Amino acid sequence: MTGRVLRWTGLGVVAATVVLAVVLASRFGSDPGLVDSPLLGQPAPAFDLPGLDGTEGVALSQLRGDVVVVNFFASWCPECREEHDDLVATSESFADRDVTFVQIGYQEDAAESLAYLDEAGRSAATIYLADPGSRTAIAYGVFGIPETFFIDPQGEVVGKIIGEANALILGATIDAIIAGERPGQQITGDTQQAPDT
Amino acid sequence: MSERVRNGAFVAAMAVMAVALTLLVSTRPADVDRVEEIGSRIKCPVCQGESIANSPSPMAEDMMDLVSDRVAAGVSDQDIVDELLGSYTGAVLLDPPASGTTLVLWLAPMAALVLGVAVILWWQRHPGAGSEQAPLPVERSRTRLVIGGVILLFAFAGIVVVASNSLQDRPTAAAGAAALDGQDLSEVSNETMEAVVAANADDPQVNGMRLALAERYFDTGDYRSAFPHYLVVAEDPDATTAEAITALVRLGWMAFDGNGEVETATRLIDEALAIDPRSTVALYVRARVRWCGAGEVDEAIATFESLLADPGLDRETKTRIESDIELARDGGECP
Repeated sequence: MTGRVLRWTGLGVVAATVVLAVVLASRFGSDPGLVDSPLLGQPAPAFDLPGLDGTEGVALSQLRGDVVVVNFFASWCPECREEHDDLVATSESFADRDVTFVQIGYQEDAAESLAYLDEAGRSAATIYLADPGSRTAIAYGVFGIPETFFIDPQGEVVGKIIGEANALILGATIDAIIAGERPGQQITGDTQQAPDT
Repeated sequence: MSERVRNGAFVAAMAVMAVALTLLVSTRPADVDRVEEIGSRIKCPVCQGESIANSPSPMAEDMMDLVSDRVAAGVSDQDIVDELLGSYTGAVLLDPPASGTTLVLWLAPMAALVLGVAVILWWQRHPGAGSEQAPLPVERSRTRLVIGGVILLFAFAGIVVVASNSLQDRPTAAAGAAALDGQDLSEVSNETMEAVVAANADDPQVNGMRLALAERYFDTGDYRSAFPHYLVVAEDPDATTAEAITALVRLGWMAFDGNGEVETATRLIDEALAIDPRSTVALYVRARVRWCGAGEVDEAIATFESLLADPGLDRETKTRIESDIELARDGGECP
């Protein structure tokens, strides 16, 4: 009787530990920054932001009817510098197809972002915005940059690229959205969380 | 001191502590408390395991400002948390949600407590249990049993901590690339391969698995899933020559077959040929793209025939090229 109870007690401890280990394994195996964005399939968070140069900016609602590509960038992010030329080229190549590129400065002064754009060049078809207090970055759940969101003409988030994009992947994603598809999330590489990482 | 006096002193001390605690809580600014309390539950998304209340990062400060504004605007705690969950998922919570698979993390300590108490009570009612020898004197037996129960509780807590730490320190993603070394990839699911390549994104040794995964997608016509993997390999300066050529040629074919972009496809395949001008697969696919996309039939036939001259060509490829040549000569449409 006594031995049996002790054995069952031991088995109960072992079973509970195994269950716990499975749960822990399932949680620690994933990078939170790489989970599917909860925004996919949802209305895009609204924003009404000033221009990087202090001029009147734009509200997302003004762009309804276009495919909107929202890219978060900063001068301190190497991957953002790598993808910059492709963003400029793709923005210009889709300018006459109801596609609007919006680039939003992330975690740096507008003056620094502007100096970087002066150095790297900018697209006449892209809207460059500041994000005071990171409110828009928070609303879009940005874990690191570059992150690029794709919003369809109805205002729904239908795509996201985590990491560096290029003209090929940007073009293919926009083409898919124009064709009525929902590209979803693509992970192309690393992101930077802060200037010193 | 009598037992009555001791009990009275104990009750008085507890009452004083309760009053002091009540005063302390009631005199602290409620809104500041709420901001800090909510901030302590939210994980800083750009930090490692820190709450936004404790992190000095500018992003955490911005998030605390947001929480503060929401509190000042009269938004409830749950609505504030829900707003952040709507952007970041449950990954933004420091404590796992008490629901779904993580519910067990909350129940485990209570289960351990109940189990420990049950064991102690049972042993108290059965002094000497578990011993083959004659029962010990009751007092001594009870002391040993209480100690045993406490040890059981601590053992369980220790197992929990060790399990969590060891799992957290694992190479991630169910298995690192090394863990799958030597394993037949045909037995590995796409999901597992995705997890491994994501967890080892910076390791060039994972390119082999990445390509194998991309090839699966490619073979089923799922270009969208294949695309980012080929792209990573094509842009990886540490990729082997063969890996880079495969990736560039596949990207080229997908650009043509998926998007009808003949020139982009040609440019990508030319990049592969710059690595190895005699690459059979690059030459073949380039000829197919130029034939099918730009109507360059004669050039395609010339390329196909030069490929047939390669004595190392396998039978299947040879048959396919011969079929293409026949079709091109007959003026048939590109297959």
